[in-house]
Amino acid sequence: MKSRRILIAGGVLVLAVVLQTSLFARIRPFDVAPALVVVVIIGYARLLQAEVALLLGFGAGLLQDLLAVSPLGLWALVMAAVAYVVVRLRARLEEDVGVTAPFVFVVTFGALALFTVLGTIFGEKTLADAGVVKKLVLPAVYNVVLSLGILPFTAWSIGMSRRPGSQFRI
Amino acid sequence: MWRPGNFDRSTSLFIGLIVLSLVLVTIDLRAAGGGVGATMREGAQTVFAPVQRVVAATTRPVAQFFEGLSDVFSLQSDNRRLRARIAELERDIERTQSLELRVRQFEALLGLETPGELETVAAEVLAVGPSEFDHIRVISKGRNHGVGVDMPVIDEGGLVGRVVGVTATTAQVRLISDPTMRVAVRVERTGETGWLTGRGGGPMVLEMLNTDAAVIEGDLLVTADGRFPPGIEVARVIRAARSEVGFSLRTEAVPEASLTTIDFVLVLVFTRDGPGVAGTEDESRIPAVVPDDTGERTSGEFEEAPPTTTTTTTTTPGDTTP
Repeated sequence: MKSRRILIAGGVLVLAVVLQTSLFARIRPFDVAPALVVVVIIGYARLLQAEVALLLGFGAGLLQDLLAVSPLGLWALVMAAVAYVVVRLRARLEEDVGVTAPFVFVVTFGALALFTVLGTIFGEKTLADAGVVKKLVLPAVYNVVLSLGILPFTAWSIGMSRRPGSQFRI
Repeated sequence: MWRPGNFDRSTSLFIGLIVLSLVLVTIDLRAAGGGVGATMREGAQTVFAPVQRVVAATTRPVAQFFEGLSDVFSLQSDNRRLRARIAELERDIERTQSLELRVRQFEALLGLETPGELETVAAEVLAVGPSEFDHIRVISKGRNHGVGVDMPVIDEGGLVGRVVGVTATTAQVRLISDPTMRVAVRVERTGETGWLTGRGGGPMVLEMLNTDAAVIEGDLLVTADGRFPPGIEVARVIRAARSEVGFSLRTEAVPEASLTTIDFVLVLVFTRDGPGVAGTEDESRIPAVVPDDTGERTSGEFEEAPPTTTTTTTTTPGDTTP
């Protein structure tokens, strides 16, 4: 059962990377696309075992790295950080469902900001991008909207509505 | 006191993953586009290309619906603008034809070799980069179709970018709007040369080598005789600029190619390795104004400097555009 969940989560993350690079090449309101992979990682990291969530985040980031031109490992680091933050704060999220939307916003914004800083350090000139603020804020806003569908979907896909041992229902 | 045992398992794993990421980044940077990273990238792109092809084809109707919605509002003004543009282009074609004839006559008189037509490969855009900060496009033609690294890519407007990675069936194109891209350009009206630098989107920065020659709004910038074949339309100046003594001449220009909505592109089968262009990397061609960002990791993205003097190329801008 556990390995089946990991396989499903892995498959959905791969699909998210594919959609991010193909579907969202065309659906780009105000010329910016959502950061789909980030919101899917948030969805699974809420429910899966901490170590599994971290490895899935790292793996999805690595896959994203392989399809990008930035140095290999940058997205892996960022996505692992996203998974870690969610794992650390998920108990708090369960206590107050109302904070989910601001949480998704802050985590997406933080992940993209971390990538731009790391990208600049490693020579990608990401902070020199003219629309950097727009490219950090709009995906975070879109992710909040997407999370309304994606967070329940991730829970449904692995047949878990709450973490084992959790006192609260999501 | 700190002890390794103070961390729980997930924190230890997280630290391990950070270290692993930094090791990967270091290895990839040191390999400078080659090594294990390049092999893994090629493998991943080869596996993903068919999936992206299918997803791009199946999601096209959905995407077109959204594109159609946004287009409805601009149809009328687009129509008017395009009619005016057609009239303008028809006049240009007539003028170009007579100019071409004269150029050929002069070439014959001077005994110059006429630059041959460049071979092109048409390709469809399959995918984009995974984030807003990856200014790349994945196209549907690769090594098997004659596409190679460094080849210029154009659309109906002008220069789109440069091939930076290639697999058997796909290629990665880095857009000219990428902040790490610099293109050597020539102002078509005056022949003065300069650099065009990407800013990640929107207008690009134009920096002229000769700070005394002013540029005016509407000036067309074409590729200079650098890494790309000369005469390809690149951008149009949107703000006139005149420099003050001792300062560099900087202004902004909008790319002629529609970088955000490109669907089909042409790859020009052209590289600077050909025997006819030997010596273009010569140090004498380095401009008096040394670019301020030399010595970066991605120095390979920069073209060799264009000549500081006025270029007298015989290629007309329309030669390489479809």
